[in-house]
Amino acid sequence: MRGTESLLKILIAGAVLTSGLRGAEPVELTAPPGPTAEPLAERVVAYQIDARLDVNKKTIDATELLTYRNLTGRPLDVFPFHLYLNAFQPKSTAVREARRDDRNFQWKDKNFGSIEVRSFAVAGMGDLTRQLVFVQPDDGNPDDRTVFQVRLARPVTPGAQVQFKIAFHAQLPEGLARTGYKRDFFMVAQWFPKVGVWWKGAWNCHQFHRTTEFFADFGTYDVKLTVPQSCIVGSSGEQVASINNRDGTKTVSVHAEDIHDFAWAASPDFRVVEDTWQGSVGTVKIRLLMSPGHVKQAPRYLQALKGTLERFDRWYGPYPYNRITVVDPPHGAFGAGGMEYPTLITAGTTWWMPRGVRLPELIVEHEFGHQYWYGMVATNEFEEAWLDEGINFYAEVKVMGSLYEPAASGIDLWGATLNDAGAQRLSYLGTPDTDPLTRRAYEYMTSDAYGAVSYAKTAMVLLTLEGLIGEETLRHALQAYFLRYRFTHPTGEDFLKTVEETSGQNLRWFYDQAVYGTQVLDYAVERVNSDRVDWFEKKPPAEKKGETLYRSTVLVRRKGDFIFPVEVKVKFDNGERVREKWDGRDRWIRYTYQKKAKIVSAEIDPDHRVWLDANLFNNSLTREPNRAATRKLSNYWLFLTQLFAQLLAWMA
Amino acid sequence: MGASKAAVVRAAARLVWRRQHILWWIYALNFSLALMGTLPFSLRLSRVLDRSLAAERLYKGFDLTVFIELVTQPDVSLRALVPGSFLFTLLFFVTMLFLTGGILEAYRYDRKLKPGEFFYSCGTFFRPFVRLLGLLLIVLVPVGVLFGLVQRWSNRLAADAPWEMLGFWVQVGGTMVMLFLFMVVRLWFDMAQVCAVAEGELRMRYAFVRGYKLTFGNFGVLIWIYLRILLATAVGLVLPLWVWVELVRPEWVAVSFLVGQALVLWWLTARLWLRASETLWYQEHGPALSAEYLDRLVA
Repeated sequence: MRGTESLLKILIAGAVLTSGLRGAEPVELTAPPGPTAEPLAERVVAYQIDARLDVNKKTIDATELLTYRNLTGRPLDVFPFHLYLNAFQPKSTAVREARRDDRNFQWKDKNFGSIEVRSFAVAGMGDLTRQLVFVQPDDGNPDDRTVFQVRLARPVTPGAQVQFKIAFHAQLPEGLARTGYKRDFFMVAQWFPKVGVWWKGAWNCHQFHRTTEFFADFGTYDVKLTVPQSCIVGSSGEQVASINNRDGTKTVSVHAEDIHDFAWAASPDFRVVEDTWQGSVGTVKIRLLMSPGHVKQAPRYLQALKGTLERFDRWYGPYPYNRITVVDPPHGAFGAGGMEYPTLITAGTTWWMPRGVRLPELIVEHEFGHQYWYGMVATNEFEEAWLDEGINFYAEVKVMGSLYEPAASGIDLWGATLNDAGAQRLSYLGTPDTDPLTRRAYEYMTSDAYGAVSYAKTAMVLLTLEGLIGEETLRHALQAYFLRYRFTHPTGEDFLKTVEETSGQNLRWFYDQAVYGTQVLDYAVERVNSDRVDWFEKKPPAEKKGETLYRSTVLVRRKGDFIFPVEVKVKFDNGERVREKWDGRDRWIRYTYQKKAKIVSAEIDPDHRVWLDANLFNNSLTREPNRAATRKLSNYWLFLTQLFAQLLAWMA
Repeated sequence: MGASKAAVVRAAARLVWRRQHILWWIYALNFSLALMGTLPFSLRLSRVLDRSLAAERLYKGFDLTVFIELVTQPDVSLRALVPGSFLFTLLFFVTMLFLTGGILEAYRYDRKLKPGEFFYSCGTFFRPFVRLLGLLLIVLVPVGVLFGLVQRWSNRLAADAPWEMLGFWVQVGGTMVMLFLFMVVRLWFDMAQVCAVAEGELRMRYAFVRGYKLTFGNFGVLIWIYLRILLATAVGLVLPLWVWVELVRPEWVAVSFLVGQALVLWWLTARLWLRASETLWYQEHGPALSAEYLDRLVA
């Protein structure tokens, strides 16, 4: 086994402690539970996990029986596994990246998390604990222990299955990112050894990075969770039994099918709110696990969730699971909030959240959206994050705009409004040109660039694409993409081709710039002018509206390197409106008109469809200035300056 | 005694009203300086907004995303504009420090001082009041440190305490205590300034001690006066604020301007009202202490 000496010691100690699990005899093959319904996915894995949570030590001790079906069409003798919890260590790649991108990031011992494989056996091949080797396929960081692999004594033939019996011990971190504990609240995610995905002819098993999420095969999960009897448990899948034990604990049994991850939460303080929603393929049970201080906000979550379920069902396709659980993290555990796992999402709010600030609704909407773009259309979040985050951000804009007033879908408070799409646009404007969408999530320039590009820029790309091919067409394309690729691992090209097929258009020119390129789109109206045609006369007749002839020009310029066809609307003072179409290939274009009317304004993209345009203020130009907005904002500035001056003067 | 305190508050209001030219001059100064601080902002906005149709989203409403996009434009750059405006607020502060001597003198005599008299008092007390400001800052250091500690504590509680509201209430309580301490310190230094002007005392360490004795020797009365005026101020601020938020439509710039100025004027009035009440109270209760003080000085 390769690795450091200390790791060896831990593994040896673990092996001794759990010697009962790894005899010299081969472990017998255990039959995984059979399917209870027609499979929705090609089930590659079947996990049977028996875990016990120690709420005092914040640890989990568990055994895992993984049955892996070799559907790769070739013999496999090497298997990589994720050990995500080892990312919560100061020398891990994830923490290194966090510090690299944020100098204020401070490591705290309470954020330490780990997962230790105490024994690893393979049915028919015996104990292989000593064969485990930590690997770092992404950055070669020898201190990163988030991936290990094992070489089997003999390969698993195509179509055959192999069973891994693993005993592990996990130390949960105090909530830092996505997983961990806070007081007596436990959000347990990425907590068990998880096999990689055979994808594109090779194993795909990346290290845990600051920005990356997950990628796994579909299968079944039969999980037994032993927790204190006072704990209320929420999890992926369906709770099928709960038995009280004599030691004050209870064991909750959960079964889940056709999902690719399993997360759970436990707390004695949860307040359970239940509801149902009738979808096109059946009833969906909704279970909110609310923190006590947030119970009043349960209706907000419910309204957003039901509205989202309804729109996703109608727009993209059915939600086939019979349950969705929403975990509302308590105060101080916001790091666990806003995350998605199959059939379980984490929300986020505070006791004081004003109704006009739609953050709770937005988080629930977004995380539920991931049930489609990640949960069912299980793209590789390590390598093509834009496919889940970006498409989901786009869907979020559409759903939030449909659930609430589109112009105020984010904030509607005291006269100030913020729409979801606009907020995402601001994020995009922060770093519009650092990375293409197709960059691997952990290879972006910075984690901020990852957020801006994979989330926000993708949404802007799709909103712009919507302007190009039509909202309905893009909706149909997303529906086709969902229905065709649900329960599989599609690629970016699969998505792009689906859009081309649905729209019947060759969109390569757009993809090359917007998806694969880093070009910035910026068009500007440089100049508008109306000049009398008899301007050279020494004594021209007096100007008369409707009679004097003017030669008007509009100069439009492409300032960015992104070539995109745009419309230009020219308004004249006789009420006439002219729409011009420009392919945008040249650097500029001039439109000239000779009319008995003067230009009032010229506007690029008058229907506001080109969301990628990096500057919306230069998209239009009026011939005469209108100072109304300047006066209004100057008035605010004046007031604030006066007030601040007076506050300071109280010191005098 | 209660009637007497109320009488001081009412008399002070009448005094501010009678000497309202002070209020208007200071308001004009505040407005002019703020206007100068606003002009660069306005000019820069003008370049981007005046001929852009996107401006409508800020005029007919207040779209935060458009506003943020606007202030991050290189042509606007809020970061570059804030220091400029701050300079004018600082100038107002220094001017107010300069004018305080004259204002207190005008309230003390309750007559319109000739410009020469007014500015003589201003000039006489400017440097002493700068020194007094130094002492004020020293006294405020522990208040600031305390506030910082409360902030850190409340933030920790907000994340770690089992009861979610605990951190919030600690923060609210801490802020109230901090504001109260700030108010007490301000009252103390207000009294020091009143004493200095009334007694022609230019040695600020004596005024500092006199202010301390007067304030804490009559704490109940003085704080009651202070709180009563602040309460009236708060009530007076709520109504225009409500009107602004609820009734004034986004495109009513002129109405919005007037409401904003009413708020500013009322806030300024409150400060002068406090100054007037302290002066009146001193005139009624200060002389006895003043004699004692003079005796000590002679001794």
